[in-house]
Amino acid sequence: MNNYKKWLTAPGTLTLLVFAVAPLFIMLFYSFRNDSGVGFTLQNYVRFFEKSFYLKLTGRTVISSLTVTVISLLISYPLAYIMAKKLKGIRNIVLMLIIIPFFTNQLVRVYSWLIFLQDGGVLEEMLNVLGMAQDGLGILYTRTAVVISLVHIFFPYMVITIYIALERIDNALLEASKSLGASAVTTFFRVTLPMSWSGVVSGILLVFVPCLGCFVEPRILGGVDGMFIGNVIEDQFFEIYGWNFGAAIAFLLFAMVLVAMALIHRMGGEKQ
Amino acid sequence: MKKRIALMLLAGAMVVSCLSGCGVKSTSDTDQNGEKQKLYVVNWKDYGSDDADFIAAFEEANNCEIVNTYMSSEEELLTKLRTAKDGEIDVCLPNCSILPAAIEEGLLKEVDSSKLENFEKMFDRFKEQPECIKDGKLYAVPFVWGSTAIAYNTNLIKEAPTSINALFDPQYAGKITFRDDYNDAVMTAALVTGQDANNPKDMDAIKAKLLEQKKLNKTYWKTGDEFSKLFASEQISIGMMWSGQAAFMKQEGQPIAYVVPEDGAIGWVDNWGIAKGSQNEELAYKFIDWMISRDFQYNWAVNGGPAPVNQEAADSLDPEYAAGAGMDETSLNRLTFMQYRTDEVKQTWNELWTEVKSSK
Repeated sequence: MNNYKKWLTAPGTLTLLVFAVAPLFIMLFYSFRNDSGVGFTLQNYVRFFEKSFYLKLTGRTVISSLTVTVISLLISYPLAYIMAKKLKGIRNIVLMLIIIPFFTNQLVRVYSWLIFLQDGGVLEEMLNVLGMAQDGLGILYTRTAVVISLVHIFFPYMVITIYIALERIDNALLEASKSLGASAVTTFFRVTLPMSWSGVVSGILLVFVPCLGCFVEPRILGGVDGMFIGNVIEDQFFEIYGWNFGAAIAFLLFAMVLVAMALIHRMGGEKQ
Repeated sequence: MKKRIALMLLAGAMVVSCLSGCGVKSTSDTDQNGEKQKLYVVNWKDYGSDDADFIAAFEEANNCEIVNTYMSSEEELLTKLRTAKDGEIDVCLPNCSILPAAIEEGLLKEVDSSKLENFEKMFDRFKEQPECIKDGKLYAVPFVWGSTAIAYNTNLIKEAPTSINALFDPQYAGKITFRDDYNDAVMTAALVTGQDANNPKDMDAIKAKLLEQKKLNKTYWKTGDEFSKLFASEQISIGMMWSGQAAFMKQEGQPIAYVVPEDGAIGWVDNWGIAKGSQNEELAYKFIDWMISRDFQYNWAVNGGPAPVNQEAADSLDPEYAAGAGMDETSLNRLTFMQYRTDEVKQTWNELWTEVKSSK
């Protein structure tokens, strides 16, 4: 690469340094700060592990996030496959349809789910018309509602990363596999899946990681039992200005994300 | 090529979704009347001092202009007071949760109540509000008050609840909405368990009560808008609610009634203070005097404002309206007013509430 071309990365690098890396260090600083404002302490981290409910809540957040990731994968892979390998002319239209929800504010989408899922709401009316009448669906204000809305919000990221990976696979390789006697299933598991694995891994990361930290959907759709660990951080920052403890939880979450990323990447590395 | 199109679409979509997330702030700080004296007020939006109909007379009588800056939280006001240069803020509206801190840090000027004609017209409780006074000196003047108590749907519940226990009553299981707020939760549970809501001792009893209550809820609400939606779609029939919003919803024609029950509920007070750096003290006094005058307080109260501290204004209200909005003296005397809390107490209460919310 020419020397001057390297400098073209400067604005991006600088933005990342100023708005992502530097704030992380500020957060790290706060997470060790004493509540009295003087000196440093491990107390903020100790407190998280002292009370069992913080860990339990984190555990439930991970399970819910994994659920969202798995459902997204099950929806996204077939969709991406059909788009990349079966559709010809209308491919970009389908892509547009997947991307259009991005044009709507996230909060609006959450409120749409509220209206759709609530007792006596759109979904219940639809089921009534179909004769599957059921009074009071009881979906809204549960963790299920949170999972549904998160899948809706994040699965397009997964579709797009997998689609890009599948797009890159030369069709000749698939034909070669078939002409050499492999069944469709064998072709899929021996050729298609391994070659698109990088897209799957990126997709998993793009869905799982933001889910771990979300707090808007759980608060609005989750009811009394739908809380995520992100809500605890939100409460610390906005309700009682407990920046130190809030930063410590955020950092623990960040550490978990790094571990998860390392694991997923190792998975990706072995397959390729 | 197609990969590039996909990436561009994705990037475009992300930019758009970011943009739609943040509104564009506009400041309408036109400087047309150079000669007029300006009074710089920090207040909530739509909270009296920015209502053109209400303040026009004051501006005309004193040949001045009121310049409002809005705050979005009490903590933000505290930060503004700490960082403001002299003359940037004249009057501001702290509530009791930050008032002692503001006085302690010397951010407010001492108030001479003899310069306020309307001071004596306030209910006695507001003349001697502990949070406004330090070392026998007055630093802030109560402006309006309100409560957080019970609202219910009059179509669905025929008999008015008489106890705060209604929010803990299995009779309404699945039809209750409690507020997601550590302070409201702990104080209300303290009232139910017969403790001093500002200094509860038996936190285990409070936790147990809140855990018991949790199962009875449809959901928790946080913003007023969330409550409105739950109420309008009849997902709930009873809930914890603010006096002000209940009055507003009633005006809108909703079948809502508000009760401050016999065994008490939570009260709050907003107070005017004069900032340490004010260069306009005389006008500031006139402004505060006007804000607590019978006329202003009455007019605002009947137009959906909070409850007046001015007894003459309160007495002029239609008794039925006042009772329905929790603005009458009976309601006032039932309230436990929210006090200032140290960060340590806030953390303890918040942690208890987090535990309640996160337990299964």
